[in-house]
Amino acid sequence: MLPQFDIIQPRSLDEACEALTKYQSAGVVVLAGGTDLLVDMRKPLIPEHLPRCKGCDPRTGTAPRKVNKPPSYLIALSRIPEMSGIAVSEPGEISIGAMTTITDLCQSRIIREKLTALAQGADNLGSPLVRNRGTIGGNICNARPAADTFIPAVALGAKLELRSQRGLRLIPAQDFAVGPGKTVREEDEILTKIIFPVSADRTGSSCIKLANRKALEIAVVSAASLLTLDIKGKISSARIALGAVAPTPILTPKAAAFLSGKDPSDANFLKAGEIAVSECHPISDHRGSLDYRREMVSVLVSRSLAAAFASIIV
Amino acid sequence: MKKIIALNVNEIPYELAVEPNRSLADVLRYDLGLTGTKKGCGIGDCGVCTVLMGGKPVFSCLVLAVEAQDHDILTIEGVAKGPELHPIQKAFVEKGAIQCGFCTPGMVLNALALLNKNADPTEHDIRLALSGSLCRCTGYQKIVEAVKTAADMMKRSGIIEEEAE
Ligand SMILES: Cc1cc2nc3c(=O)[nH]c(=O)nc-3n(C[C@H](O)[C@H](O)[C@H](O)COP(=O)(O)OP(=O)(O)OC[C@H]3O[C@@H](n4cnc5c(N)ncnc54)[C@H](O)[C@@H]3O)c2cc1C
Ligand code: FES
Ligand code: FES
Repeated sequence: MLPQFDIIQPRSLDEACEALTKYQSAGVVVLAGGTDLLVDMRKPLIPEHLPRCKGCDPRTGTAPRKVNKPPSYLIALSRIPEMSGIAVSEPGEISIGAMTTITDLCQSRIIREKLTALAQGADNLGSPLVRNRGTIGGNICNARPAADTFIPAVALGAKLELRSQRGLRLIPAQDFAVGPGKTVREEDEILTKIIFPVSADRTGSSCIKLANRKALEIAVVSAASLLTLDIKGKISSARIALGAVAPTPILTPKAAAFLSGKDPSDANFLKAGEIAVSECHPISDHRGSLDYRREMVSVLVSRSLAAAFASIIV
Repeated sequence: MKKIIALNVNEIPYELAVEPNRSLADVLRYDLGLTGTKKGCGIGDCGVCTVLMGGKPVFSCLVLAVEAQDHDILTIEGVAKGPELHPIQKAFVEKGAIQCGFCTPGMVLNALALLNKNADPTEHDIRLALSGSLCRCTGYQKIVEAVKTAADMMKRSGIIEEEAE
């Protein structure tokens, strides 16, 4: 059973922002697909979680979901048409409404072509039932260190548009999360869209998730890479993001800097993978040990770089 | 405070007064008596509460009834045509894909959503479509075979073309 609350189902973003401000003191949260929120609000059926191995850190999301003080109001975003959909907003930009479902991302041709890493991240999220309800906005706002669309959004250099009655601001995806489940979003702000730059030619991307099962599993490690070549075929820029190896999704600037100006060779991809290991801070839990995660960072980074390179159409 | 919602369940329109915190699964089971929709984990992990909402499979335990407003809902009770079982249900019976039966409504509805958009699924497509549904009894193999058989039966009887229109 869910605790008692009242629900507001606004028809426009303005109405939603107004309600979110108005009910702040009473306790209010935004409801997107509900696949994180309603699980968190539900009283746990199994009250205690016994870590299966030593070192299982309660702060990483492998612990029992704590029930926070239940909100008095939920504001559902499902009836706001302007909040979902995928559009080429400006030349060189793809804008995705926060309420766009994970399934919509999987099925979009333009996303698979231009933002391959995001499509691959979406493919690996949960199960079809989760993807049909869960949204990209919810996945990012929930800010788990392994969030499957958040990691590629960081690699692809996305910006998040936050809106409140006070105004509008844009936050780079990599600056959004500040800890597991914690973000810079203010309580009265709604994430409205996620804006991706679409790079020119000779760019490819890829996202690889390593998990203990193929469906319904949180990543042990995930890596997303974006690679751009210059006209001579050398790497002009690279961005690599990692999931589940730090309290938030992270970039690995040193590994990316190493690649700049180099040949897109397997040897260089392997070396970049090794450098990335020095930039992550994994822990041990029942999904994988610290040492295993470090090994896998190196493997996944080099594989995702190779896959990003292979996806470049010249 | 209760809200009045319109729900279209198995092509029957209902008007219901529901508390905002009630799940679609609870409203289907306890208000409408449609107990074919099962409740297992309540947190999206098992798929026994699957219904089709606007043709797409969703877990009704994590959908608020007030959020299902204005959507067409199909539950397992709406799959058979009168006493005549749907080919997917027949195939499940024939292939021994049902043991205790607790996962069956969810499995059948997930299979139905798949076959409605893909008349000729590969084994991979079937396993992927069912990957949100757990079965503790069958070991899945017979369920996968049943869905394949159902696809063949539906193609032969022309059901798929009909529904795709
Ligand atoms: C069985 C199961 C398996 C899962 N597997 C995975 C997995 O493999 N990988 C993965 O990454 N996740 C997984 N998840 C988590 C979840 O499905 C995703 O994070 C999903 O994308 C969340 O989206 P939602 O729309 O359901 O968010 P909600 O639950 O509606 O919201 C999540 C949080 O974000 C806030 N929020 C939502 N939208 C906005 C907005 N526009 N503006 C401001 N705040 C907002 C809400 O207030 C809430 O705090 C799984 C969940 C379940 C139940
Ligand atoms: S009861 Fe809904 S998914 Fe398990
Ligand atoms: S038949 Fe018993 S759970 Fe599937």
